[in-house]
Amino acid sequence: MIETLIKIFLFGAVVGGIWGLVASGFSLIFGVSRILNFAHGAAFVSSAFLAYALVNEGYSLYFAVSAGLMLAAVIGVVVYALTKPVRDREVMVIIVTLAFALLVQQVLLVLFGDRGVSIEPFVEGVAEIGGVKVTHMRLLSLALAVICLTALEVFITKTNLGKKVMATAQDSRAAMMVGIDIEKIFLFVMVLSSLLAGFAGILYAQIFAVNPEVSLRALIYAFAIVILGGLGSLRGSIAASFIVGYILVITITFLGARWSEFVMLLTIVAILVVKPTGLFGVEE
Amino acid sequence: MRWVNGAALILAAVMPFILPEAYLYIFGLAYIFAVMVISWDLMVGYTGQVNLGHTTFVGLGAYVAALLQTPLRTGIAMHPAVSIIAGGAAASAVGLAIGIITLRLRGYYFALVTAILPLVFMQTVFIWRELFGGEEGFAVENTLFTTTLEKYYFSLVVLVVSFILMKKIVDSRIGLRFMAVRDSEELAESLGINTTRYKVLAFVLTSFFAGIAGAMVVNYRFTVSPELYGVPLMLLIILSAVLGGLGTLYGPLIGAMVIYLAKNWWLGDIIRTFSLPINDEIVLYAILIAVGILMPEGLYHEIKERWVKSNKQ
Repeated sequence: MIETLIKIFLFGAVVGGIWGLVASGFSLIFGVSRILNFAHGAAFVSSAFLAYALVNEGYSLYFAVSAGLMLAAVIGVVVYALTKPVRDREVMVIIVTLAFALLVQQVLLVLFGDRGVSIEPFVEGVAEIGGVKVTHMRLLSLALAVICLTALEVFITKTNLGKKVMATAQDSRAAMMVGIDIEKIFLFVMVLSSLLAGFAGILYAQIFAVNPEVSLRALIYAFAIVILGGLGSLRGSIAASFIVGYILVITITFLGARWSEFVMLLTIVAILVVKPTGLFGVEE
Repeated sequence: MRWVNGAALILAAVMPFILPEAYLYIFGLAYIFAVMVISWDLMVGYTGQVNLGHTTFVGLGAYVAALLQTPLRTGIAMHPAVSIIAGGAAASAVGLAIGIITLRLRGYYFALVTAILPLVFMQTVFIWRELFGGEEGFAVENTLFTTTLEKYYFSLVVLVVSFILMKKIVDSRIGLRFMAVRDSEELAESLGINTTRYKVLAFVLTSFFAGIAGAMVVNYRFTVSPELYGVPLMLLIILSAVLGGLGTLYGPLIGAMVIYLAKNWWLGDIIRTFSLPINDEIVLYAILIAVGILMPEGLYHEIKERWVKSNKQ
């Protein structure tokens, strides 16, 4: 019993950390440019698949990971370019990014097939915590996720560029008036968020396995997290990602993986019924 | 416009005398697909709410109808006409529940929730495999028609009836309120329109037609399978409506016919002829992105504008 609890505690944190990287970027993009980026999962899977392919070709792991991150950044630029002309049309932004996500998914399906692939982990070995065996990689990924999220928080609140991002998120017109180039900020946020998603994808592939379909699945968790945390709230989505991580792991432990989507939907519906603004959200 | 409608209808009615049966079969399915597309337009084009889960209701209608008319599965053997209506009713009931929760909120919640609905409902098929038959689905009994000719005419009738009903709705006072909600929710509300009620009404109507279309597919193909919930079908619906022109009904109708026939008739052949290393989905998604960016108003508006311009000269 106590072992199950420790297991849930640890694995929930690991999963929460990874989805936190995805959801914080999703939330940041929405907060700054009011774009619902349905292609966010595309950066997640493509970076993992590129890293996998390069490792298979015999390149070193770190080179492969850097290349994967580069690809994620490129996808960020592409999404920025695709959404720029239609930014005023909410419907078209959603349709174009969703179509792009599916396009990437199909390209990956053609190239790699629909089986799951894993990347060789950064570190090998298994640790034992309270009688539960945890791979070093899981612990490392949790640590890396926490470091990235903390760095993101510090960057947004403390640095000059981060404050510009925050200003744009609060009121893009006013930001423009005080001399902030908001187009640059939009592009920067898109690239930064895609990098975070790409990094999450690589960590995920080192622990579990990715297949092209994860590109859409990732969105379910990201949505649940941003709705729970409050749309556009960065801190909210970081906190919510750990809550969602625990909900996920508890569901998988006691009901089975098939139920995870179902439980996520119930979670979202419950939040929308009880507190639509989320835990930390603000009224729009 | 009236003589165009008449000509199109006559053409559709004499189609069986011109086309071989295999093509007739595809045309009939295209009509059912068109019902899905124009009903999506009712919610997105006229009411302005981005519904990304239309296939949830297509799938629901399909599975409800299939289960109700297949005694081997459930021990129930309803008349297929009743089961098709029941499929539509079940879909609109689920639409009502989801609409009440999500549509009272402004903004992006509706799109987010509807986007994940198909993925969730797809899982029900695997969770209750005994009942729903897993990924292979199951064969449907007691279907309404057997010959292709009967199926073709029945789908045509369903399309025409659905189209006329939806046209009546959008031209009525209710339709005007839908469009008021789309154009400015604040303004609509200040005029005394209960915006939530009209959004939910539009969602229930759109889900009803989607459910009917799903139940029709089941009675047409004699099998039911989880792909009816699928995201690829959703994107195909979106592509057809966007290409045709949102909020016009006629545009999405034409878009649906063109896209469905393209996908099931020419596109595969073209890709195979040139032996391109891609599949037809990639081509369709690329077209959707291009249309969304370059021509967000759709073909209908584009052609109409040119028409008006050339008439002025």
